[in-house]
Amino acid sequence: MILQDRKLGQSMKTIRNRQILASITGLGITLGIAFVVMIAMILIMSETPGRTVYFFFAGPWLNTYYLGNMLNAAVPLILTGLGISFAFRSSMFNLGGEGQVYAGGLAATALCLMLPDLPGILGIPASLLVAITAGALIAGLSGFLKYKWRTDELISSFLLSNALIFIVDNIITGPLHDKDNNLLTTPKIAEQYWFTRIFPPSNLNLSVVFVILLAVIAYFYMFRTHQGYEMRMSGLNPEFARYGGINVSRYFILPMLLSGGFHGLAGAVSVMGTQHMLFKGFSGGMGWNGIAVALIARNHPIAVIPAAVFFAYLDAGAKSAMINSDVTMEIASVVQAVVFFLVTSQVIQHLIKPRRKTA
Amino acid sequence: MEPYLSMQNISKIYPGTDFKANDSVNLEIRKGEIHALAGENGAGKSTLMKILYGLELPNSGKILINGREAVINSPIDANRFGIGMVHQHFKLINEFTVAQNVVLGLEPRKGRLFFNDDRANETVAGIIAQNDFHVAPESKISDLSVGQMQQVEIIKMLYRKADILILDEPTSVLTEQEIQRLFQTLKVMVEQGKTIIIITHKLAEVKQISDRITVMRQGRVVAVENTGDVDEREISKLMVGKSVVFDFSKEEGFCSDPILSLKNVSLMKKRQKRPLLDNLNFDVSTCEIVGVTGVAGNGLSELEDVIAGLTPITGGRIHLADKDVTGKPAMELRNLGLAYVPTDRLRRGSSLETSIKENIIVTNHHDYMDRSGFFDNGRIDAYAAKLIDDYRIVGERNAPIGTLSGGNIQKVILARELDRVREFVLFSEPTWGLDVASSDFIYEKILEARSRGIAVLVLSSNIDEILALADTVMVMYSGRIVMKRESSPELTREFIGEYMMGLKDDFAGSETGAVDENN
Repeated sequence: MILQDRKLGQSMKTIRNRQILASITGLGITLGIAFVVMIAMILIMSETPGRTVYFFFAGPWLNTYYLGNMLNAAVPLILTGLGISFAFRSSMFNLGGEGQVYAGGLAATALCLMLPDLPGILGIPASLLVAITAGALIAGLSGFLKYKWRTDELISSFLLSNALIFIVDNIITGPLHDKDNNLLTTPKIAEQYWFTRIFPPSNLNLSVVFVILLAVIAYFYMFRTHQGYEMRMSGLNPEFARYGGINVSRYFILPMLLSGGFHGLAGAVSVMGTQHMLFKGFSGGMGWNGIAVALIARNHPIAVIPAAVFFAYLDAGAKSAMINSDVTMEIASVVQAVVFFLVTSQVIQHLIKPRRKTA
Repeated sequence: MEPYLSMQNISKIYPGTDFKANDSVNLEIRKGEIHALAGENGAGKSTLMKILYGLELPNSGKILINGREAVINSPIDANRFGIGMVHQHFKLINEFTVAQNVVLGLEPRKGRLFFNDDRANETVAGIIAQNDFHVAPESKISDLSVGQMQQVEIIKMLYRKADILILDEPTSVLTEQEIQRLFQTLKVMVEQGKTIIIITHKLAEVKQISDRITVMRQGRVVAVENTGDVDEREISKLMVGKSVVFDFSKEEGFCSDPILSLKNVSLMKKRQKRPLLDNLNFDVSTCEIVGVTGVAGNGLSELEDVIAGLTPITGGRIHLADKDVTGKPAMELRNLGLAYVPTDRLRRGSSLETSIKENIIVTNHHDYMDRSGFFDNGRIDAYAAKLIDDYRIVGERNAPIGTLSGGNIQKVILARELDRVREFVLFSEPTWGLDVASSDFIYEKILEARSRGIAVLVLSSNIDEILALADTVMVMYSGRIVMKRESSPELTREFIGEYMMGLKDDFAGSETGAVDENN
């Protein structure tokens, strides 16, 4: 018996390595299948499949404009992906990302418009801060409701977000509407609020550096601080956490505040880095895609970066194919759906995963 | 004699591991016998039975029934060959009746389309009468005791015309009384021509119920005997390779400051009249092991939750280390020196997907920060390595604790709780489901804690364990303490058993329940 256990101990390390290897190969196979599906669909739906496939894959790399914009699109996705990772790690289901991004965008825009003469060195941190606060408060409210009355945060965050979207729409088309413009948008924010572009002519700006830095900080916070530890323990097994003397109910609120903060920041970064204004429908799936990104990254802050880039790449490829060929944007959505399905269901990983000893 | 069932040269290696869970195992079962398959946890007996029931496929070997080869790839195949298995964990639908659960999947019909409730009840009543079960076909599962649920599982197999019944650790969840009733039923079933294989690691039961015994160790069969020809000591020797007897010399304690004290502690559930804990009064002092035993459902698990600070009491006071801790959260108790080894190791005592290392630091992760506020991984690694070494834990510190065996998981919990304990430690069912060697190791550690001057409280439904360890023995029945005595040779299993069953009560009629004799 003891002898057996010792053998088991020796093989444990190899099992672990095999599991890591398996999950990487699994992800590879998943992506491979997704691309095969994508090509198959293009073959069916396009009159010029060769051209379409070419632009789908190569499009984002063809010039600095495309490449830069693709990377820039990944920036808010990294932020929302991080936000979702914090929530999911704590077993809190924040489904209100879309509204939190929108609200963050509104808060930042409003501050920029109200204080058009504030120097950038004060104005930028201030508007980022209000955006973070706005997102954090909205998501935090769902956490608080759970803390107070055990309200299901999945439902409350989703409903709250849906209601918010309409309210923000109303503000954009009402009090903040740009009277000189026929579009449903606010005026442009003053130039000192704009993030410095680093890859012209694309929209890629300095925020990309800060976002990567933020992912690294998030990683350290999650895995190396006592709060991160308590948060993860509370999420993985609340009974164990409580037994160990961790105040579990605190981790109904804190991860939601963090999650909402990241979403709010994503909204602000999009306004100040890319759009320079807030228009109706501005959040455009950033919140939902954050969930997909976090799931692909298995809620790991560092893995969120490539996952977000991958998502942005699919989007950019589809746009490029659409402009240069005869397919529609929907193809990219379908491919994203296929990837999402394969990754979340973990079918492939399950098939090749080494089975665990059960006796 | 031609064996009824034989498994020949069965080998099983789980993918991803190097060791053989079964190594060329041969097993022969005669018709109409009760055959005990004995061995420690991890000896390979469950694996062998899973292969027989089609839940696992062997890497090599074959199964013969009545001399003909039987290919069993799934439980459905096994059922076709008349093999049924009752698992340790029941698979029943709480909202259905006994009869509905039994016929599930093979329901009698009314006119092809409709479920025939009456026929189901009739058929199941027939099986119950024939085998002397004590359960009504119309009762809802949620109203049954654990023992009765197990009967339903057996009835399920009989309904499916099983001739060979495999019972996996059937007594682990039962009370003494229920065990005796189960054994009676098994004997009746054998008279009806059934054959029974019972997986167990409890020596006394092997002796009592089985006709023949196959002992497994480290994936191999080490002995096949007629049960009458061997005694418990010999079986134990075969199972572990050495003879193990529970006998600990009790040292006299020289210190006796009360560390934990309960005063009139009561626990009422909302809208219930009968208290779950009824006016408990006792102290646990330094250098002392207090043991509380009782049949499940009489307050032991509530007492566990209350002392651990996980359930607030509704009456009375609790003091820990001279502080009133009534209503204080677990966190505060932990800071005051509470160490606690819970009954539920897998859900409460550990976080299965988390590494051994991170499981070890749960109670004191604040102590492993460096000056900048981050975990000092070097120190955590060193601490984990030290505990893994000290407690002879077989496992790598970064591996998820869920990959360890039950005994090793319990060792990790022990290591975490005992390494830092200063004042008081609570053990609840410390050896539940563990094999003899692991249990022994745990007893050693409990006694060691006492000799370090720590106050120890052991809650256990295992009478032998309480008798072997405790300096003061208490029995709980129906939420009350019904007996409290110093350990002495006259405290026997039978003596305690009468209190556990509610036949005797030393404190009957006394208003305040158990009065602490020391005060």
